[in-house]
Amino acid sequence: MIDLNATFFAQILNFLILVAILRALCYKPVVRMIKAREDKIAESLAKADSDVAEAESLKKDYQAQLAEAREKAQAIVDKAEKVAASNRETSLQDTKREIEQMKKAAQAEIQRDRERAADQLKKEIVALSLLAAGKVVEKNMEASENEALVGDFIDKLDKDKIGDLSC
Amino acid sequence: MHEIGVRETVQFAGFTFNWETLCMTWLTMAVVILIAFLATRSLKLVPSGWQMVVELIVNWLHGQIDAMMGKSGRFLAPFIVSLFMFLLVSNWLGLIPTLSSPTNDLNTTLALALIVIVMVHFLGLYKKGMHYVAHFFQPTPVFVVINVIEEIAKPITLSCRLFGNILAGEILIIVLLKLMPIWMPIPAVCWLAFSIFIGGVQAVIFTMLSMAYLANAVKEEEES
Repeated sequence: MIDLNATFFAQILNFLILVAILRALCYKPVVRMIKAREDKIAESLAKADSDVAEAESLKKDYQAQLAEAREKAQAIVDKAEKVAASNRETSLQDTKREIEQMKKAAQAEIQRDRERAADQLKKEIVALSLLAAGKVVEKNMEASENEALVGDFIDKLDKDKIGDLSC
Repeated sequence: MHEIGVRETVQFAGFTFNWETLCMTWLTMAVVILIAFLATRSLKLVPSGWQMVVELIVNWLHGQIDAMMGKSGRFLAPFIVSLFMFLLVSNWLGLIPTLSSPTNDLNTTLALALIVIVMVHFLGLYKKGMHYVAHFFQPTPVFVVINVIEEIAKPITLSCRLFGNILAGEILIIVLLKLMPIWMPIPAVCWLAFSIFIGGVQAVIFTMLSMAYLANAVKEEEES
């Protein structure tokens, strides 16, 4: 039952052959596959990391651009407001100036009218006075003398009284 | 094995071979290679089915080797997985009627044990040099006797344990089948189930002990 013979050496050989075959056929491909998978996973993780970093930088970029655009829009609005304000200011000034001019013109007109009226009044007063005086002194005085006399009188009167009339 | 303890022998080139053991060994090898081939036939980057099982085994084995021997022991993984597969298949082969286990022959078990022991000493010398020789003389040179006995006992215990277990299992199956009438096969079936268990356990023990011995030789010395 326990007879050691040349089978012993044959079995050593057999087993070594089996190890060699299994190593080449089974073990190596499996290990290679596991290694390949590990490599792929590591690569994917690295790629995911880089993608995340890239997305982050893109996001930052977009945010910066957005902020810039917002700033620009704000600047445009500000400028438009400023222009509108200045426009309003100038038109206001123009209008004021116009009103001022119109007022001045009106005042000048009024002054002129008043002067004309005063002139006329003076003339009428002279005429009336002459008429009155002529009637009064018809009998004793020359007409031309009387007229000069009354004109002087009216002139004095004009300087003293009529000039201060508010008409 | 038709008659217990008697083996057919053939003479070839002046040497005597146990013919049945050789045939069964080749059958076992064929089965192991077939299993390995089927399991790794179409490896994909995304595993499924058998590939997952095979990868699980390889990863587990790598974990065991890393724990026992460190990363430098990785090159032994194909040897260990082959040893385990061969032992498992050959232990169970004998449970099929008309077949017998290659491991019921001391020639086979001793051959395997000696391969392991030779590897242990060879790797020990290769990796550690004279330091490996020196550890036989520790703690005192007197211990060399005990150490040598231990080293000699290793292959003998390793081979005889497996041989005895498997041979006893097969003999008992034959005996039980002969003792019991054909219509009452329950004890034989029970023993068959037990033999399946024993076959697996013995394969694990042999592989584990081989790993432990190899680990002693390969792993880096922490205490030095």
